[in-house]
Amino acid sequence: MTALTGRTVSVRQHHRWKPSALTAQILTYLLLIAVAVLYIFPFLIDVATSFKTEPDAAANPLSLIPQTWTTAAYQRLFFNSDFPIWFKNTAIVTVTVTLGRVFFDSLAGYALARLQFRGRNVIFAGLIAVMAVPGVVLLIPKFLVINQLGIYDSYAGMIIPLLADAAGVFIMKNFFESIPASIEEQARIDGAGSFRIFWSVVLPMARPALITIIILSFQGSWNELAQFIISTQSPSLTTLTKGVAQLASGQLSQGTQYPLKLAAGAIMTIPVAIVFFIFQRRILNASDGAIKE
Amino acid sequence: MTTSTTRLPRRRGRSLHRGQAASGWLFTAPILIILGLFLLVPVLMAAWVSVSDWSGRGSPFASGVNFIGATNYGQVLWAGGLSETDFGTALKNNLWYVLLVVPTQTIVAMALALAVNRRMLRGRGFFRTAFYFPSVTSSVAITVLWLFLFSTTGAVNAVISALGAHGPNWFNEPRGIFHFGAASGPAFLTGNTTLGVSWWDWLGGPSVAMSAFVILAVFTTGGTFMLLFLAALQNLGGDVEEAAMMDGANARQRFFRVTLPQLRPTLFTVITLGLIGCWQVFDQIYTGTKGGPSKTTLTPAYLSYTAAFDDQQWGQGAAIAFILFAIIIVFTIIQRWVLAEKKVSKRRMGWITDAEKRDGRVSEAVAVDAVPNTNRGSR
Amino acid sequence: MKHRKLGAVIVAAGLAAALTACGSGFSSGTATQSSTKPITVLIGSSGAAETAAVKSAVAAWSKTSGVKATVTVASDLNQQLAQGFSSGKPADVFYLSTDSLAGYASNGSLYEYGDKLTNKSDFYPSLVKSFTYNNKLVCAPKDFSTLQLIINTDLWAKAGLTDADIPTTWDQLSAVAKKLTTGTQTGLVIGGEYARIGAFMTEAGGNLMNADSTKATADTQANLDALNYVKQNLAAGDFKYAADVGAGWGGEAFGKQLGAMTIEGNWITGSQSADYPAVNYKVVPLPKGPAGAGTLQFTNCWGIAADSANKSGALSLVQQLTTKSDQLGFAKAFGVMPSIQSAAGEWKKEFPKLTPFLDAASYAQGVPAAKGAAAVVSDFNSQVAKLATGDPKTILSSTQANLAALLK
Repeated sequence: MTALTGRTVSVRQHHRWKPSALTAQILTYLLLIAVAVLYIFPFLIDVATSFKTEPDAAANPLSLIPQTWTTAAYQRLFFNSDFPIWFKNTAIVTVTVTLGRVFFDSLAGYALARLQFRGRNVIFAGLIAVMAVPGVVLLIPKFLVINQLGIYDSYAGMIIPLLADAAGVFIMKNFFESIPASIEEQARIDGAGSFRIFWSVVLPMARPALITIIILSFQGSWNELAQFIISTQSPSLTTLTKGVAQLASGQLSQGTQYPLKLAAGAIMTIPVAIVFFIFQRRILNASDGAIKE
Repeated sequence: MTTSTTRLPRRRGRSLHRGQAASGWLFTAPILIILGLFLLVPVLMAAWVSVSDWSGRGSPFASGVNFIGATNYGQVLWAGGLSETDFGTALKNNLWYVLLVVPTQTIVAMALALAVNRRMLRGRGFFRTAFYFPSVTSSVAITVLWLFLFSTTGAVNAVISALGAHGPNWFNEPRGIFHFGAASGPAFLTGNTTLGVSWWDWLGGPSVAMSAFVILAVFTTGGTFMLLFLAALQNLGGDVEEAAMMDGANARQRFFRVTLPQLRPTLFTVITLGLIGCWQVFDQIYTGTKGGPSKTTLTPAYLSYTAAFDDQQWGQGAAIAFILFAIIIVFTIIQRWVLAEKKVSKRRMGWITDAEKRDGRVSEAVAVDAVPNTNRGSR
Repeated sequence: MKHRKLGAVIVAAGLAAALTACGSGFSSGTATQSSTKPITVLIGSSGAAETAAVKSAVAAWSKTSGVKATVTVASDLNQQLAQGFSSGKPADVFYLSTDSLAGYASNGSLYEYGDKLTNKSDFYPSLVKSFTYNNKLVCAPKDFSTLQLIINTDLWAKAGLTDADIPTTWDQLSAVAKKLTTGTQTGLVIGGEYARIGAFMTEAGGNLMNADSTKATADTQANLDALNYVKQNLAAGDFKYAADVGAGWGGEAFGKQLGAMTIEGNWITGSQSADYPAVNYKVVPLPKGPAGAGTLQFTNCWGIAADSANKSGALSLVQQLTTKSDQLGFAKAFGVMPSIQSAAGEWKKEFPKLTPFLDAASYAQGVPAAKGAAAVVSDFNSQVAKLATGDPKTILSSTQANLAALLK
């Protein structure tokens, strides 16, 4: 943080601004830094507290350095609870959903963007309508359908409903419309079928949009909670979100046990954080040219 | 083989489109089937359950399940019993949540975007990362963190006592923040009720516990919406602003007369997404308070869930879900109407026209990009 | 070692129970066919002690019977039960509370096996009554608990109090609570809910419903007196709710010494010895109220799902879990009281310090059990959480209206 404030000085020297503009600039920096601290500090507390003992956590909630370092919370999570199972389930669901969405979204997006067929506009209108239905409203009915289909309490019941992703189709459609049609026309003349064209000509060009879908799907299914509450009951199918939510209401223990809960929260944040930092430029550059590159 | 009306160039004629109908349907089939099964069918099924007396055992279409008309809706809306009071309470809680979160998150997001968008700013990447990061974390992990930060001996209260005051027992404090600690109000407020909740309680604002959730929502969604504003800002370009500057407008005038009007489409998107998200608060309540203290963090979404899964009132649960759906639609329509395009002065129009042409398309595309994010973030 | 002996007894009893269960009226084709299907047991646990005890008892049965059985701890028992029943995949055996019995029995979710129990006559009559629906015993009472006053003896002595000061009236309770209240510690810390405050109602001669749960009795003067008494002490700061001192329940506040006294049931012994072994305490009867002695009684039964694929196995398991030896094992592990009368003598011998809990069996009152009562009680809880600033009369009259609506 000091490095940053240090740099503001050089900015000041570069542009010889009027004093009022200068004050404004400094104020902006101070404000931004204050807000940034506000945004980052909770996560630091999270990590720090997970290494504290419980009395320490209660006595020094603000301190970033534990009085006595302990990994008890992590040991409990990994060796003495279902946490590894939760992690495994979340990983399975997230990977499957992400792969499934990438494939189905681009397939449907391509059809809607490029293929000429009766009913295309109806399908498109339907997708838009579907996007307007709020997810929480579907909690009870989704449970009913999953149950009727006989996939309740199974990976299928957890995964398949999440594959329905109208927004992803929309993004892919927008992208495919932006690439010139001439390339496909050529392939078509050469006699390639629709799927061939899609698979070996168009899809490889869609990398930026696919990355968007991957990011959104990964984040969405890793963090999904409600769907897993209504689609499973076995402990062996519990996901991170569901498990940690139950942990928060005291399944593993009586009482508060904050180091344990915060450790669980910290670990479940790591994979999303990794994806976030890998694709960071892409996510944040949504601002420098929307979703197209 | 019939082909469709098309907007694409059809230089090669019909033969090229042969087989496209089949492929088109084939390609869209997986999505259509899944969406149909897990969106359309559920809605229809829930519609039936909401007017039936299904007790939660066996199939809702079994012969023993009867049509009971609007009884379930009545229980929730006008029968005067516990169900109505619960729904009224949930509605009151969520209404205050929406009223506080939507404007705050919009303003915060716009302020962050304006600040981070400055060309001269050093460390833009750092700031963007910092502000956006809470948006990618799971609502469960964040809620757990919040429970700790806002516990009796938590970080927030430590800061408050360092400032010399005494912090409340956040997640266990059911008092409405606009009651300012008053135990009871004037008789005409406490005596009259709407949906089983006294006017005094309607006016009491969110409870202290709910306020902690309000702060959580602003914290987690600010970053997502900041990105939407940033995208729009960067497509504005400087020319309009320059024109206004030449006209002698100061910074404040430029913001309110130039920048803000041009941000309207984005503003519109952000508020719509905010409204939809805020009416669906579920994860935080499920993880954190389960509706407590004293039902002051009960929300229609969570109530719908507990009515069905805890109390076996499946019909009422489904009915609440449909009422919630209606509320969301109504709010979106009201918002559309309020924010509808108003007449702009000729001079300002001159500054804007150019920029607006570029703006609309981009913000629409990014909005779609952000839909899953925001749903998650504030649900 | 005592434990090993107990284990041997369990195994032997399990074998016997399994044999009798299979030999008594379960010869129908489907039942025997499915009797090796694995069994799931869903419990709402009070803590690690209870979980471990149930797991080991079930494992012992599993070993002798050869039927695989797994124990799952529910984070939200009600929700998980409901979801299980409506999905057609319920747990085979589960804890079932008195207030959810009527709902599930009425829609046919439960296997009504009460008459098949070999030890049916041994259960306390009041418990049998709690689990009778349409004149049929639905499920076997698991155990029961009552509320009494728990005192931290070290803090008690520190405040200069002696055994002579143990409160026997409401006034005395207020007085000692005041003495025990210091800067960081409150005299009496209790859960802010019907399941604790209700004890005061019974001491005043009231309760939310009558004993059969056929009449709403919430808005009586007795209940009003009880709430007013609690409210006064909350206002004085000598009583506090557990949530208000940052604890999840009375036992946690007591263990962390945030409160010098609490009102909890016999389950507190299990968690105290596991989590707060350093805290010395003693159990005394709750003080008498205007109407004499009173307390609340809680009980669960071992429900078996009608949709269970292995009902005979489930029944054999339940039969085993309600034997004297298993129940005494549970008692030792987490402090519950056996649901069968024949175990009372040994229990008292084993736990002389806890006798006030069992002595209460003669006067303790049950909680409302009418269909839908749970929702009303939780609404009452949400109001009573605000008792310090709320109006007792309003709370009781709205609860009265809600309870009366259930009986229509």
